[in-house]
Amino acid sequence: MARMAGFLIAAALLGCGSGIPPGLTYYFSADPRSLDPALSTDVPTGESVTLIFDNLTQFDPEGRLVSGIATSWVPSPDGRTWTFTIRRGVRFHDGRPVDVAAIRASFMRALEMAREGGRVWPLLPIDGASAVVDSAATTLRGLTIVDDTTISFTLVEPLNIFPKLLAMPVAAIVPTPTPEDFGEHPVGSGPWKFVSWSHDDLLVLARNDDWYGGAPLADTLRIRMIPETFTQAAEYESGRLSVVEIPAGETQRWEREHGAELQRRAAFRAVYVAINTTRGPLADVRVRRAINHAVNVPAILDRVAQGRGVLAAGTIPPGLDGFAARERYAFDPERARALLAEAGHKEGLKLQLWRSQRAEFARIAQAIQADLERVGVAVEIVERDASTARAAARKGDADLFLSDWWADYPDGENFTFPLFHSANAGTGGNYAFVRDSTLDAMLERARSTPDSADKVALLRSIDAAVFERAPWIFLWFPTDLWAMRPEVSGWEFPAVFTGQRWTGVRFTQ
Amino acid sequence: MIRYILLRLALLIPTLLGVLAVTFALLYLAPGDPVAAIVGERADAATVERARRELHLDDPMVVRFGRYVGGVVQGDLGRSYITRRPIVDELAQRFPATLRLAAAAMAIAIVLGLAVGIRGAMRPGSLSDRIATIGAYLGISFPVYWVGLLMILLFAVQLRWFPPSGYGGLLFLVLPAITLGMRSVAFLARMTRAAMQEALQSDLVRTARSKGLTGRVVVLRHALGNALIPIITVIGLDFGSYLTGSILTETIFSWPGVGRYVLTAIDKRDLPAIQGSILFLSLVFVVANLVADLCYAAADPRVAYD
Repeated sequence: MARMAGFLIAAALLGCGSGIPPGLTYYFSADPRSLDPALSTDVPTGESVTLIFDNLTQFDPEGRLVSGIATSWVPSPDGRTWTFTIRRGVRFHDGRPVDVAAIRASFMRALEMAREGGRVWPLLPIDGASAVVDSAATTLRGLTIVDDTTISFTLVEPLNIFPKLLAMPVAAIVPTPTPEDFGEHPVGSGPWKFVSWSHDDLLVLARNDDWYGGAPLADTLRIRMIPETFTQAAEYESGRLSVVEIPAGETQRWEREHGAELQRRAAFRAVYVAINTTRGPLADVRVRRAINHAVNVPAILDRVAQGRGVLAAGTIPPGLDGFAARERYAFDPERARALLAEAGHKEGLKLQLWRSQRAEFARIAQAIQADLERVGVAVEIVERDASTARAAARKGDADLFLSDWWADYPDGENFTFPLFHSANAGTGGNYAFVRDSTLDAMLERARSTPDSADKVALLRSIDAAVFERAPWIFLWFPTDLWAMRPEVSGWEFPAVFTGQRWTGVRFTQ
Repeated sequence: MIRYILLRLALLIPTLLGVLAVTFALLYLAPGDPVAAIVGERADAATVERARRELHLDDPMVVRFGRYVGGVVQGDLGRSYITRRPIVDELAQRFPATLRLAAAAMAIAIVLGLAVGIRGAMRPGSLSDRIATIGAYLGISFPVYWVGLLMILLFAVQLRWFPPSGYGGLLFLVLPAITLGMRSVAFLARMTRAAMQEALQSDLVRTARSKGLTGRVVVLRHALGNALIPIITVIGLDFGSYLTGSILTETIFSWPGVGRYVLTAIDKRDLPAIQGSILFLSLVFVVANLVADLCYAAADPRVAYD
């Protein structure tokens, strides 16, 4: 024991002065895939890109679309062409100008890089973009440089969300030709300059004093890679992280011990069970409604997620245009049984519920299984790692698939078109395999209409139509809970992952 | 001796080829699609198809295996599907961290394990021996995960002696090294105690005592010398397993080693990264065992390799 104490003391003395100095410190749960915007398929890469690079448009923490490199944008009357006015005098961190030629080259590169495996779909609405990806064209037909400060995009078809798509990481403006080893040593024009990156450990960024929006308040932003939620909390409580996300199971302790440091936000995210509408008895809407009536969602939300969420009666979350409060499928096992009998399944049903290994999903799945058992639906839970479970759902092999949907961009369209348009059945996000021409037509019109009042009305009726068809077990929209250290100010948890650029955040010792 | 080492090194080749073939076949058969992680959510069918073509995922297994072996022979483990970086570089970046943690854990295990074991053998049944015995049982039984969390809670959050996690100076090394090495401490203590007890009762030690040698010389030179072979075996095996990355310890303590790398690779279905890591780590494990074998000869002159 004396030896051990001696060793510990020696180690403590020798180790003094090492580690991470005080200052703004954020974290990711996983190492970014790369710091190259063209490879931004994961959240850590997307968040890093938002800090180091600029886009033509950006999101603010509330999820509103704000100006970026572009100061304004207007659609043509037919909605097929969008014209952007470009800010003057912006430079990359290496001094090269961010001008219209650089912007065009940057979009070309993103499309060409798609062959390496990127997430290029936000750019594909541009006329001629697919041809560039397929190496069938060497210029981007839909992109026109009008003059020194004006650039216009002609699209394959009218698309009102196009300016939002340009705020996504893959559309970040990069200098071309890109420097050697760009994914490891990125050069952007954003509020933060890249300093160093040790994998699985630490990403260090320094303030860009010349940023068009004014230099960030802090001189350095460190981002640590901390995979384990318990460790994230311990780091925060030791004062070594500026902010931390609170897992649902820890809600009560944090409210008790750190109440003043907490902030809540209704997330643009839906937790749901996709019901594959093409598989046997599930093709019958009565069966799908019965399943919805059978599950006691409020009780599950309370028990499993500590009440941290808003019950869903539709797929568009509150806070986005198109959301409407409506009466949910009430928890009513009697009604569920009656509906099943009406559909000819008096003797019951057997279904498989697929899910990933997330602990929260395990508990949700068990609760759903128990509830469905009570109305005669025997559920077998199939647990697989996330990629296998998703692959099964994409192929249509899963009766029921427990999942969640994160907003790529804040728009009701993002919670309807990818999830229920027939073109997205399977791979695109439509795991319920809804193929409904009426719904398709509504979804397409909601994307193309230039009139925003018309769009909101359309999204509302789409949400209502989806609810009617019950292709999901509608669960809830989670409420995110984050803590911020008392010595930190000016940070808020963003509504979309690209919405916080850390420019107005201050660290006071 | 030299001939023996060369022979063992030559045997590495069929061993590694076997590892290569088995992991390749297993990964080929395993469910899950690497393309999903490469192109992200919401990719259309054309994009998925393009990615599969780019990575030659639809080629016959034999062709893919041949291409892979061809690369490995030239020291090329391929590129990660996800990061697009060479896997050799990615492993080289992470192995030093794993090596540091393994060495520290082993150092703690050797010092503490031998000390506790020798003391117990010299005074069997004493209070300190009984406490050590109970401690050893607990050390072997407690899951690493639980010990790690407890360490962070007590020494980092409550007492603030050490940082909870991260990679840095010695201060960062203490908690993960103790967590990782604890099982070895317990095991080595038990092993040393048993081997030493046997050695202390041997004729050799009785003779040494009758020659008038003092207790410390007898215990350290004569008895410990004879007890070393089983101890070296345990050290060799444990060190080998630590060097291949400790997924739990590295994850809990945010330690940037190869264990976490492998875990991420599996999670993302990054086939070349999984394959390359397993090959590299097998090599490390086999070499660690070879070194342990050679240590036998150093510890016991009767062991000769011809």
